[in-house]
Amino acid sequence: MNSLKPLLIRTLQLALVLWAVVTILFLMFRLMPGSPLAAYIDPTFTEEQQEALIRQFGLDKPLWQQYFTYLVNLLKGELGYSFRYRAPVAERIWLLLPNTLILTFSSLIVAYVFGILAGAWLAWRRGSRVEVAALPVVLATRAMPEFWLGMVLLAIFSFSLGWFPAGGTRSAGTEYSSLWALYTSADFLSHLALPMLTLAIYSQGLPLLLMRSNMLDVMKEDFVTMAKVKGLSSYAVVVRHGARNALLPVVTSFAIAVGYQLQGNVVVESVFSWPGLGRELVAAVLASDYPLAQGAFLMIAIVVIAMNLIADLLYTFLDPRISHA
Amino acid sequence: MDAPLLSVKDVSIAYKVGALDIVAVSNARFDVPQGSIVGLVGESGCGKTTMARALTRVIADNARIKAGQMQFAGQDIVSLSEKDMNSLRWRDIAFIPQSAMNSLDPVYRVEYQIVEVLRDRGGLSKSAARKRAVELFEMVGIDPGRLRDFPHQFSGGMRQRAAIALALALEPKLVVADEPVTALDVIIQRQILDQLRSLQRELGLSVIMVTHDISVVAYICDRTVVMYAGKVVEDCDTATLLNEPLHPYTMGLKNAFPDLHSAGTGILTPIAGSPPDLANPPPGCRFAARCPFATDQCRVEEPMLTEDAPGHFVACHRAVEAAALREEAKQPGTWGTAA
Repeated sequence: MNSLKPLLIRTLQLALVLWAVVTILFLMFRLMPGSPLAAYIDPTFTEEQQEALIRQFGLDKPLWQQYFTYLVNLLKGELGYSFRYRAPVAERIWLLLPNTLILTFSSLIVAYVFGILAGAWLAWRRGSRVEVAALPVVLATRAMPEFWLGMVLLAIFSFSLGWFPAGGTRSAGTEYSSLWALYTSADFLSHLALPMLTLAIYSQGLPLLLMRSNMLDVMKEDFVTMAKVKGLSSYAVVVRHGARNALLPVVTSFAIAVGYQLQGNVVVESVFSWPGLGRELVAAVLASDYPLAQGAFLMIAIVVIAMNLIADLLYTFLDPRISHA
Repeated sequence: MDAPLLSVKDVSIAYKVGALDIVAVSNARFDVPQGSIVGLVGESGCGKTTMARALTRVIADNARIKAGQMQFAGQDIVSLSEKDMNSLRWRDIAFIPQSAMNSLDPVYRVEYQIVEVLRDRGGLSKSAARKRAVELFEMVGIDPGRLRDFPHQFSGGMRQRAAIALALALEPKLVVADEPVTALDVIIQRQILDQLRSLQRELGLSVIMVTHDISVVAYICDRTVVMYAGKVVEDCDTATLLNEPLHPYTMGLKNAFPDLHSAGTGILTPIAGSPPDLANPPPGCRFAARCPFATDQCRVEEPMLTEDAPGHFVACHRAVEAAALREEAKQPGTWGTAA
């Protein structure tokens, strides 16, 4: 079995994609109006001080040289220096990335587990009243903007009922000995609940509808009929042979959903004041903090690309026709 | 004579399409004697596959067995509870599908699919099931080393053999084979049929062979049931059916296929026209519109399936004149004029 070579090719392809993203980011921030240093340089600075700063940031060099320096720094893991925080971008990103990842993956896992089960169940109950009633509801959740849904949930569960806090990741004044202690605390989880639910409700429609329609197709396949003719239990027919096959495209959609979710995070993190990369990205762009915005963009791109690789690997594992072709 | 293993009596099966009830099988009646291969032959849409699938009672959602009995080893398949029927499935009645490619689950190894049925339905332990899978593969002539393969790694012939191995896993009494060799080339067809024949003799199986190919029937079947537009039109031992058919449809079917045994004239004569619309079947004999020998009586009065000679059933008003009709049927001109 030679499964290593396609994997290598795939990794190289993704490295190429990453390089393209890096290049586009570099050019994008240099094409934006205004000097990149506008936010950093105080108008009271003297001419010499300003020039010294421009030299210090290497902005007096030709573009190709800047690009080269930028690439070399990236390879060393240096993302530059934030204008606003006067601190390395990498430091800031490492601080915020876990919050974003926790929000993204917890909401997606909830959405996918629910969507897959509900989708399979609705396919099984095809034509029933439950199905007829459920489909418009699912479509409605797909159509709701996340920020609106977030505000509605906030209004109900936070402001009216007071069940959940309105924003942030922890209550004021709380201290935790480690990140792990923070992330497993009831306080953190209750802060996570509403933004997670918002994103989960928004994202469950895709896996649900996909699973349902795949399941409807798969249940018509000969091997499912044969499973019935063999007298296998309904569990074996529906889950082992039906759902197992219907699951394949849903797995791919998970990786794509991570990309969408990170984009959705930008909005939901802002609504819930969730200190994550998405909210930071918005703040950085507004404050013309280009190095930070560039770093946040890059980090999001890396997560999306990595998820694609993981989906590919998972797919070869789930579908023998790909790995044993 | 022993009681037949399976006795189908006046079975009608209908598909509900919109407000219409399309009767795909009507009043079908035939026996499958213990240890014999019975062919179920007819053109597409004649109800043979519907009939075969009904024996497992796994039929389309919109299909329903409306009447009749299917006596199988002392039990009536039609009236069994779902639980009792399920216990009959595969242990007593196994199925070989037409397309073995689509009937094997693509995401599981072939071994898993054989072991699954041996464990879930046969109650074997995992290790016993694995040993039995090796035996089964040897029995159908596939290298047991290929057990760990996935279905897509098999050739068409191997898949069909694997499907046979799967069908024989629990040593069923009856194997229903739905066009088991139709998708294969003639050389592989013959290998598979020979294999099936020798396994059938060895294991004392009874087999129902659904096919549209009269040469397959001639090659392997002991008895043959000819169906036309949902009706059994003729049922007798294969040699008699081929040499002295009583029904004009059987005579026409014979003309339409190349003869395997003699060089012949090599001219094939098709039966003009097409089968009637089952949503609105004509009165009288369903073959009348295409039959060169149809009389006014044929168009009005439906012929019943009667035992014309011992063990030879036919549904034709002119069966008594069959010898003369056979001579006439040999002339190609006879069939060209049918409207």
